[in-house]
Amino acid sequence: MEPDAQLIQSCLRGDGPAWEELVRRHTRRVYNLCYRFTGNGTAAEDLTQEVFIRIYRTLGSYQPTYGAFPTWLTSVTRNLLVDHYRRTRRDRLTDSIDDAMPQLEGTHSPAPSPDRAALANELSEQLQQGLARLSPELREAVILRDLQELDYSEIRAVLQVPEGTVKSRINRGRIELARVLSEMGVRPA
Amino acid sequence: MAMNWNCAIAEERLTDYLDGVLTPEEAAAFSAHTAGCAACARMLSEVSHLLSQVQLVEPLDPPTHLTAKILDSTIGPRTQTADWRRWFDWVGVIWQPRFGMGAATVAASIAIVFHAFAPAGGKVTFADLNPVSIVHSANRQVHLTYAHGVKFVNDLRVVYEIESRLGPQPAQMNAPVSAPQAQPPSQPSNDPHEKSQAVPHSGRRRITDGLMAFVDPSDWPDGITTRSVR
Repeated sequence: MEPDAQLIQSCLRGDGPAWEELVRRHTRRVYNLCYRFTGNGTAAEDLTQEVFIRIYRTLGSYQPTYGAFPTWLTSVTRNLLVDHYRRTRRDRLTDSIDDAMPQLEGTHSPAPSPDRAALANELSEQLQQGLARLSPELREAVILRDLQELDYSEIRAVLQVPEGTVKSRINRGRIELARVLSEMGVRPA
Repeated sequence: MAMNWNCAIAEERLTDYLDGVLTPEEAAAFSAHTAGCAACARMLSEVSHLLSQVQLVEPLDPPTHLTAKILDSTIGPRTQTADWRRWFDWVGVIWQPRFGMGAATVAASIAIVFHAFAPAGGKVTFADLNPVSIVHSANRQVHLTYAHGVKFVNDLRVVYEIESRLGPQPAQMNAPVSAPQAQPPSQPSNDPHEKSQAVPHSGRRRITDGLMAFVDPSDWPDGITTRSVR
């Protein structure tokens, strides 16, 4: 398989198939990150598209010294997720009293999510509900570490915070998520 | 000197403990604290269970149209051929064995039902959609099928009867050549035993009358005379 760096160079020369390969290779990663953070299939789809549009426009500014391409891609995705979270904050604050807890849009929407059927795995759905009850800082740390399986240095590069802060957020996020899941009935046998 | 950790320290170092990066002394202090603290033991159990469960979660599949949507919004619509082929993406799904067998069964069932209920002549009119017409058509089709079946069976019986009467009789095959069999059957005989043997000959003549025209007279069996040929 051709490395990402070669595909990027081909893309910069105007090679359409190279860009297509790059998109196909990383769509799943970006979509999963967006879905786990927002808990909404439509929003995840729109955000994934927005991420790749931004990547396409700024591909020339990517330098390997920034880190591996997936790390840069995750960093761009995370920045868009933060923007999205801030954009939708007002909507959440004007929602019902249930939003006193740090929930995100769509998690308890009466209309079923388009991807609800795809979440056949009950565990995956329970995990999604638990993640929705974490604060954004803890949620993104847990998603990047335990679902995206990035190491601490990659997460530090994405979040632009010291590694100690990364570890602290992951630690608190895991404890909080485990407590929430335990309240939901997902507990050790 | 042994470390004496409290709940706050144990909670803060939980991930380090799970990552295995604590020193032996720190790990011992963590274990000693969780052994005596029910709340921290439960926390350790829950987080360990969470991490084991997360390993089982499969990545979600993005919507199938998402990649095409991204490509359209970045490098623009691609060639017409690619769009045309996209209309036939479902063919790949149909060819899966689980769908293919089901589709073939449904198609065969529809063909059988249509064949059974279709009106004669091939042209379907509004009158044919009347339930009464459908019932009559089905009834007629059933009777035709039954009649064809009966005819087929009867034909088999006729063929069997012809073959059994044209072929040599088992008793004649086993018996030695005797004088009465060598005599022409046209000669009258007063022997009642011979009369009883003449009965099947007459029956044979009646059945085989229509076939004798196709048989060479030199090949005729001894029991059949030229009078049988019309």
